Amino acid sequence: MATNNSKTLARMMVTPAVILLLIWMLIPLGMTIYFSFLDYNLFGDGENKFIGLLNYEFFLTDPAFVDSFFNTLILMTGVLFITLVGGTGLAILLDQAIYGRNIVRIMVLAPFFVMPTVSALVWKNMFMNPVNGIFAYISTTFGFEPIDFFTHIPLTSIIIIVSWQWLPFASLILLTAIQSLDREQLEAAELDGAGKFCRFRFMVLPHLSRAMTAVVLIETIFLLSIFAEIFVTTQGGPGNASTNITYLIYTQSLLEYDVGMGSAGGLIAVVLANIVAVFLMRMIGKNIEG
Amino acid sequence: MGSITLKQVTKSFDDNHVIRPLDLEIEEGEFVVFVGPSGCGKSTLLRIIAGLEDVTSGEISIDGADATHMPPGKRGLAMVFQSYALYPHMTVRNNIAFPLKRAKLEKNIIEQKVNQISNVLNLTDYLDRLPGQLSGGQRQRVAIGRAIVREPSAFLFDEPLSNLDASLRVNMRLEISQLHKDLKTTMIYVTHDQVEAMTMADKIVVLNAGKIEQIGSPLDLYDNPINKFVAGFIGSPKMNFITMTMDTNPEVDSIGVRPEHFNISDTEGTWKGTVGVAECLGSETYLYVQIPDIGQLTIRTDGNCPFKYGDTIFLSVDSENVYYFAKNGTCIPLD
Repeated sequence: MATNNSKTLARMMVTPAVILLLIWMLIPLGMTIYFSFLDYNLFGDGENKFIGLLNYEFFLTDPAFVDSFFNTLILMTGVLFITLVGGTGLAILLDQAIYGRNIVRIMVLAPFFVMPTVSALVWKNMFMNPVNGIFAYISTTFGFEPIDFFTHIPLTSIIIIVSWQWLPFASLILLTAIQSLDREQLEAAELDGAGKFCRFRFMVLPHLSRAMTAVVLIETIFLLSIFAEIFVTTQGGPGNASTNITYLIYTQSLLEYDVGMGSAGGLIAVVLANIVAVFLMRMIGKNIEG
Repeated sequence: MGSITLKQVTKSFDDNHVIRPLDLEIEEGEFVVFVGPSGCGKSTLLRIIAGLEDVTSGEISIDGADATHMPPGKRGLAMVFQSYALYPHMTVRNNIAFPLKRAKLEKNIIEQKVNQISNVLNLTDYLDRLPGQLSGGQRQRVAIGRAIVREPSAFLFDEPLSNLDASLRVNMRLEISQLHKDLKTTMIYVTHDQVEAMTMADKIVVLNAGKIEQIGSPLDLYDNPINKFVAGFIGSPKMNFITMTMDTNPEVDSIGVRPEHFNISDTEGTWKGTVGVAECLGSETYLYVQIPDIGQLTIRTDGNCPFKYGDTIFLSVDSENVYYFAKNGTCIPLD
């Protein structure tokens, strides 16, 4: 925007969109904050009394909250770890000159296009089912007791499902990063006497760090709010073993019809997400600036 | 240390023969320049010597030992790339130290060597910077430093100056020549710029379409080109070729005269022509003269040249400065 004239014009043109966006965001946020201070149960007497911070107190002291908080973190870090390590490995494999590489790349990307509910159902019924699932079949073939995934290792099972969904995303981003690595650098390192592992450690990995940061940030946003996979498979159980904060809010506000408690939980989730975001930015954000 | 021998080396990608059977002997301590037009295989040849490309057939030996299938890191050669290929996330210090660390030298020895090299190359103030914070010339120096620090048996340069601006290129050219005089290590240098080749080389290898046209010292190639290609490639501005037949020798198809060998007169001469563009460089002048039936000739004359656009001039040449070429391009010695 060069001149004052064009600046003013630009502001005027942008104003309607900004106002619309503000209304879109501020009204729901304001209503959520308002509800979170009310004793607002859909099966209640309709008085909706103001009860101060009581909703927050109940939500935070609920034993399910602590469980779900750690479940959220475990789910997030588990999936991040698997997708970063697996994604780097896959990216390196996909970077090799193999016959039909374009088709392989498209196929690797496929899980990302499957919607969460569908992929969770496929995993639940076709892979992890203790009677009909393929894992059970493999176990019994070798004479082992089949694992009942969603009963014995519910959170791990969900981590596996979500990792499967996000692996293509990580692979794709890391693959494009690997492809942008200057081949002459690798050749120079080879001449300098660096072996394969050394070249990966000193050339490829530092080159990928920026792409990895992007993967971590983007995935974190989505992983904090995993819902469909839990809803379809374990329903948060057994007990609270696979309940994350998103799912806890759902059970509070919709299964128990407690709008006030749900709103308070939602706001707490927003605060927690922001804490995680600030933490991440501090830790790895400087990678992106450079 | 530092003699390299290529025996009947070839390289082809599918049906594309990049290097035709080629023999080459590089003596210890020589500064050898591979020169040729783009796509002549000179970079491929260098990469074959470095071990970054496999030979299709033939043998390479370095210091008498067979190196045909030796991995690049084991050949004891250092290479400076056109893009410098510095490691962008490492400081200058770590870039230079990288090959030493790979060789598992002790820490204090590494530090000592890095300091010594950075002194020689004027990099001491930049040791803690990243390559991205350096200018083109400084990056070039770091790349050279990284090569020198290993004390290789030979240096390979792949068009190292082509990314630099003109004045810096002249400086770096001098520095590399000076470096060769100091280190007395074998250097192999690839370029398409015949000025670099002429000024730096002990021995020039002129390549064309994957085969060696001629090997010799710069002046040898200038004075006694073996064929029309070498005659046209070595020397700047390019040699003028005039198609003509001679009664005394029926083989002759054309003659060649270098721009600096013409005698100019405004009254008489062998060829009469009109001056087209005159480029005055101060120290010398290039005249582009249109001769009817022959075409354009390039003439090089002194700085204060009285001729200008549109003047009619006469050109002649002393017979000892004329090169004669047969129809197939080979140079025919007359006398």
